Amino acid sequence: MVKNMKSFIAAAVLVGAGMVAGCSSGPSAEQLAQLENMKQQAKSLSSQLQDKQRQKGDLEKQIAAKNGKLQQCQADQDAVKKALGK
Amino acid sequence: MKSKILFLLIAIIAGMILLNVQPLRAQEMTKDQWQSEMNSTTTQVTDLQNQLKKIDDDIKGLKDRSDKLDADVKACNDALLALLGVTQSEFDAFDRDLASMEKRVAELQAMSDAELLNHRAEIDQITKKLADMAKSKIALIPRYGERIKALQEKVAALIKAPSRMDTYTVGTWAKDRDCLWNIAKKKDIYDNAWLWPKIWQGNRDKIKDPDIIKPRWVLKIPEGKELSKAEKSSANTYYHKKAAAPK
Repeated sequence: MVKNMKSFIAAAVLVGAGMVAGCSSGPSAEQLAQLENMKQQAKSLSSQLQDKQRQKGDLEKQIAAKNGKLQQCQADQDAVKKALGK
Repeated sequence: MKSKILFLLIAIIAGMILLNVQPLRAQEMTKDQWQSEMNSTTTQVTDLQNQLKKIDDDIKGLKDRSDKLDADVKACNDALLALLGVTQSEFDAFDRDLASMEKRVAELQAMSDAELLNHRAEIDQITKKLADMAKSKIALIPRYGERIKALQEKVAALIKAPSRMDTYTVGTWAKDRDCLWNIAKKKDIYDNAWLWPKIWQGNRDKIKDPDIIKPRWVLKIPEGKELSKAEKSSANTYYHKKAAAPK
């Protein structure tokens, strides 16, 4: 009976050790944190990129409006010069 | 003794299960998966950093272009003002005046002919102001010249429209000296006192005796520049009666 019991304990220890060994194939807590940091960085960069794209779009619109103003002003100047005979 | 060993054994197995299985559940990731995810996230971060750098460069370029355009627009505007011989504030005031006149003329256009007659002085003032504006050098700028011309046409139409009133509210003799003769004589009625029988005949429902009209009566002013046969006849009858009446 005692012999059986010893065998059983030995088997249990082996199973437990096997489970510990299986667990050690996953990433460590440090690695998981590293991955999480990297994901956070990607998220933050993506948000920054969206802001910059908006900023770029606004600037392009402003430039288009200013170009229109400049063309209008030049056309006005030409018309006035012509009317004044200059 | 046996039960102690059995208990110890169960405790050891339970402990092992708790220690090993719990972390496995929490991680749910193998090292290979971690590595793969780490690689793809790192690539994503690098890619985003490159895109950010590029967009920063683009924004800088656009800002420079915008600043240059500001300077060009200002230079062009200054040159235009110099050509016109006006200051920016004078130019702005001209623009404001024109815009407010456009708004006012639109309001006047919505008025009835009778209402417009009460604004005759204002319309004359706008006409004069527009004539002055048309002489300004600013009117040489086509878009301003066109706006002034369009406004002048609208104002001219306003002047044409109310050639005369179509109704007249009688005032008092003491204050307004209102009688049919004097009413017909008014510039915005017939501008001709001899047409008074038109008013009489057009308002027979109210006017029984042309010598008697009452304050606050609203009289219709019939159209026409001459008396009709019936109007002439009624006028003659009136004059004969007056002449025959004992003095």
